Amino acid sequence: MKKRLLAAAVLAIAGTALTHTAIADEKWDAIEAEAKGQTVYFNAWGGSENINGYIEWASAEVKKRYDVNVELVKITDAGEVVKRIKTEKEAGRNTGGSVDMMWVNGENFRALKTNGLLFGPWAESLPSWQYVDTKKPVRKDFSETTDGLEAPWGTAQLTFIADKNTVAEPPRSAMELLEFATDNPGRVSYPKPPNFHGTTFLKQLLSELIETPALLAEPVDADSFAEVSKPLWEYLDKLHPVAWREGKAFPANNAEMHQKLADGELKLSLTFNPNEGANLVAKEQLPPSAYSFGFTKGTIGNVHFVAIPFNAKAKQGAQVFANFLLSPEAQVRKADITIWGDPSVLDAEKLTKEQQAVFNKRAPGGLSEAVLTLSEPHATWVEALEAEWLKRYGSQ
Amino acid sequence: MNTLSVKHLSIARKDGSPLLGPLTFNIEPGEIMTLMGVSGAGKSTVLNWLIGASQPMFEVNGEGWLGNTRIDTLATEERRIGILFQEDLLFPHFSVGDNLAYALPAATKGKAARRDAIETVLNSAGLKDFYHRDPATLSGGQRARVSLLRALIAEPQALLMDEPFSKLDTTLRQQFRQFVYDRVQARKIPTLLVTHDAEDIPAGGKVLELHAAEPSHA
Amino acid sequence: MAETLRQPVSSIALTPANKPKTETSKISVARLLAIAGVCLTLLPIVPGLLWVLWPAFNMDVWHALVTDGQFARALISTLSSAIGSTLLSLMAASLIAIWLYPGKGWALAQRQLPIFLAFPHIAFAIGIAFLIAPSGWLARGLANLLEWSSPPQWVSIRDPYAISLTITMAIKETWFLLWIMATLLGEQAISRQITLANSLGYSRRQVWISALLPQLLPRMGWPLVAVLAYSLSVVDMAVILGPSTPPTLAVISWQWLTDPDAMTQAKGSAAALCLMILLGLLIVLARALWWWIKRLYRDPTGIRKPGRIFKTRAVSGIPVFIPGWLALAILVLWSVAGGWFFPNLWPNSLSLKSWNSADFGPMLTALWIGMATVMISLPLTLAWLEWGSRKHHGWLYAPLILPSLPIAAAQYHVLLHLNLDSTAIGVIWSHLTWTFPYMVLVLVGPYYNFDNRYLCTAQALGHSHLNACLRIKWPMLMKPILAAMSVGFAVSVAQYLPTLFSGGGRFATVTTEAVALSAGSNRRVLAVQSILQTALPLCAFMLAILLTAWYSRNRQGLK
Repeated sequence: MKKRLLAAAVLAIAGTALTHTAIADEKWDAIEAEAKGQTVYFNAWGGSENINGYIEWASAEVKKRYDVNVELVKITDAGEVVKRIKTEKEAGRNTGGSVDMMWVNGENFRALKTNGLLFGPWAESLPSWQYVDTKKPVRKDFSETTDGLEAPWGTAQLTFIADKNTVAEPPRSAMELLEFATDNPGRVSYPKPPNFHGTTFLKQLLSELIETPALLAEPVDADSFAEVSKPLWEYLDKLHPVAWREGKAFPANNAEMHQKLADGELKLSLTFNPNEGANLVAKEQLPPSAYSFGFTKGTIGNVHFVAIPFNAKAKQGAQVFANFLLSPEAQVRKADITIWGDPSVLDAEKLTKEQQAVFNKRAPGGLSEAVLTLSEPHATWVEALEAEWLKRYGSQ
Repeated sequence: MNTLSVKHLSIARKDGSPLLGPLTFNIEPGEIMTLMGVSGAGKSTVLNWLIGASQPMFEVNGEGWLGNTRIDTLATEERRIGILFQEDLLFPHFSVGDNLAYALPAATKGKAARRDAIETVLNSAGLKDFYHRDPATLSGGQRARVSLLRALIAEPQALLMDEPFSKLDTTLRQQFRQFVYDRVQARKIPTLLVTHDAEDIPAGGKVLELHAAEPSHA
Repeated sequence: MAETLRQPVSSIALTPANKPKTETSKISVARLLAIAGVCLTLLPIVPGLLWVLWPAFNMDVWHALVTDGQFARALISTLSSAIGSTLLSLMAASLIAIWLYPGKGWALAQRQLPIFLAFPHIAFAIGIAFLIAPSGWLARGLANLLEWSSPPQWVSIRDPYAISLTITMAIKETWFLLWIMATLLGEQAISRQITLANSLGYSRRQVWISALLPQLLPRMGWPLVAVLAYSLSVVDMAVILGPSTPPTLAVISWQWLTDPDAMTQAKGSAAALCLMILLGLLIVLARALWWWIKRLYRDPTGIRKPGRIFKTRAVSGIPVFIPGWLALAILVLWSVAGGWFFPNLWPNSLSLKSWNSADFGPMLTALWIGMATVMISLPLTLAWLEWGSRKHHGWLYAPLILPSLPIAAAQYHVLLHLNLDSTAIGVIWSHLTWTFPYMVLVLVGPYYNFDNRYLCTAQALGHSHLNACLRIKWPMLMKPILAAMSVGFAVSVAQYLPTLFSGGGRFATVTTEAVALSAGSNRRVLAVQSILQTALPLCAFMLAILLTAWYSRNRQGLK
């Protein structure tokens, strides 16, 4: 009797497991069926032809394979899209929204999530999820749990770029950077916060200068913020007088920094894509002598995601597209430095040897050294740092 | 043709001070009545009222009749009254022929018939082969003649003329005056002529002299 | 009786009647239609605007705005750049006109004008930045002479006092004002006045200052307000050339209004409202100043100051266009450049790669949206000018003199409620808000100066008012109508915020593309899109000129 019970239990467990995957498959099939013929308006930053070109390729593929139309809506700032979705919600537009899918992370994701502007959870039931490297921070976005409301798309790591001809030995820490700036007055700068890269630069400095780094993983505490962030402002007060235009003006974004690096106006630039330097050399936007480097103790890295708004019209189509973007084929192509060079979120071990080989491709200008990844501070730090920065340096 | 009659016409400024009238007169078919007076006496205002142009500065009362038809309540295009201004006002984007064709009533049908009618009129005025000419290339005298032809070819029941000769030189002026009077009289059109120049008054024609009313507050 | 001289052209009194009773109903239908068109285009913005600005009606918000560290400096740079560029452009345009009109140089300048009117603000700003930035052409030239190896540490763009922004806007607006002057000076009466005053012994300069400017300036009132409003609320140019710590008030307002945080958004509304208030104050101030200046013209002294005859006058019209030509040249050069690093004056190699891989889709989108917009604006414009109310004309210009950001946001809100956002209809409607008033602005001068005795004559010949308009009045006004259409098209092509908001970002035009790309770093692609953005309106202007020439080929009276 006991045996039979046990057997029944085993059977039952096996049965649920079986039906579970079977149900998942069935569900996914239904999504694919519904997605047919849908048009997905994908809102993504449109400032790079490489990225736009890649998205165009992916759109053509899903059209061919799943009959899903993807229209890329090029935007300059994801914040604008968050605002649009919010406005739609306020106007009572709960279905048929103008955004079907968006490229997002960090404080914009947090704003979407806390305002209930997202559809889901859906991300972890995508068939491609099985390839995702869950050791990477794909379930936390700036210390905010993703809860399956967004699917990882790529990883990023703060990387610096310099020119061999003018900088033989690059600075390898915040303090070395300050020395470097002092030795090269007027040739160091960073994008003006609240630009994404500028704020990341501040976080990078803070993570090195702060006394208790563990605090950064927690939401920011308004009372102790002044004390905790003090080393950062002291540092900047020393950096700015020797910075580009004496710290009275800043480049608008990192693209402008690349341009200034190419022109020789700046000696350092920075990027979130370790392969961007290689791309820029390939497109003759940087001289061939350009190279990428990181800090000895590591640089801030994060994951960027795609999310579906609560009122999206083509939710199924969006999931199909997200699933394709997460597939080994699409991820490998994305990581190819001749295409885009955005590092994959997949577990390399789950891929074929040829696919892995693409990940190890190197090109002149790109990052060729291993740099430790520091995790992003909690999303609330972004706003606090930006506000304080603007207060101190926003008006000079 | 019918008589053009004006009954009890009075014109006042918007502030209520009277400008003119009450005025009553008849113009018989083929008769040319001359309206004279110093500037500001209201000559043009009378013309504007008769043609149906709005007069925002004035309050106008009275009746205008063409035979048994009351005309001052009709739209300009329904009054069948022609007008000639100081300037010839030929439409610059039309050829001479098109200017006339625009005036020729639609009753004349068919391309050839219309063309014939216009050519006939042009010939009668010594303007043979002018059909395709650009009005801007005509001499002043030619333009003045075309302008009158245009007014007449529309078959008006009455004609108003606002100093039509004042822009022409002396010789031309006499010729054109005769040209106009001959045609108006031949067609028996009642005509009201506004002028500064006593020489313009046709022999034996009626003259109405307007005197400027004193502004009431002066 | 005090005699008043007869008006030489008594056109105003000769608008065909709406007095006779039988006519009343017909005319008011046309009039109603004219007004309905205007209402449909402009009225819906009012509730939207209320919604956008509502958060600003709260003292806490104003307190937060005024105490914001960026506010005071932003206000100063906004005021200095707006007032500075408006005054500079007015002065420059007046000086050039004094110098050149009438004469060969004026004709030469007029021939170049369409090119630079068509030059979109953002493309021009990008070109200027390519020129004067520390790594720009100018610095490269000097670097080659002085053997610099790295760019100088100039503060030539994004200077804290907004000088580069002021001057660049001034140059751009000078062209606009010159063009407005050209349309006004095109009227016969004015060149006769010059001859007349010359014959009284006054020099060209004196004639201009004592007789022409006092006539022209009041008629340039609305265009000047449009220039002032534009420079107050400009975002795209200010981002490229303006100061950044802090940016101008318009840029801050834009950043705040697109922020997801409610309080920040409210501050953005307050800043937008602040821009409107500033504009109102400046207009009042300008009117007072004009009243005072006019007093200076009383009681002429009769002093003659004979001027010299300048032989080089024809050439002196060119300098005002030099920045334009250079900006255009460097855009073209970047669009075909291979690697090009400081301090090289010339690219290492030339290639058509950027052109071959260029996306022409945005150009086509801009083309059909622009054409549709103009085709709807034209009947609205003509109906309004013919049957609309002259008294309430000023209201029509409201969109031109209000900051475009809150209006675009307002339109978006209205469309959202009508379920028309992200549709072609929505985008075209949002463009109408600007193209329609601009077309009226361009056409109103020639239209009201039209000798309505022509219309009266046509009606006396037995044709209806509408027929007389269709056959006589509008064909005679073909030249300004075509000019207005090309301006309307150019205005539509240049719209950034409305296209983005109302179109839900789904309609990529050359302008949205250029702005999106200006966030990236590839100067070549940016140059290509900037050139495409310039080419569209330029073609429209050229087409208008060609059509006018063709239309009046056999009619001297139209020239």
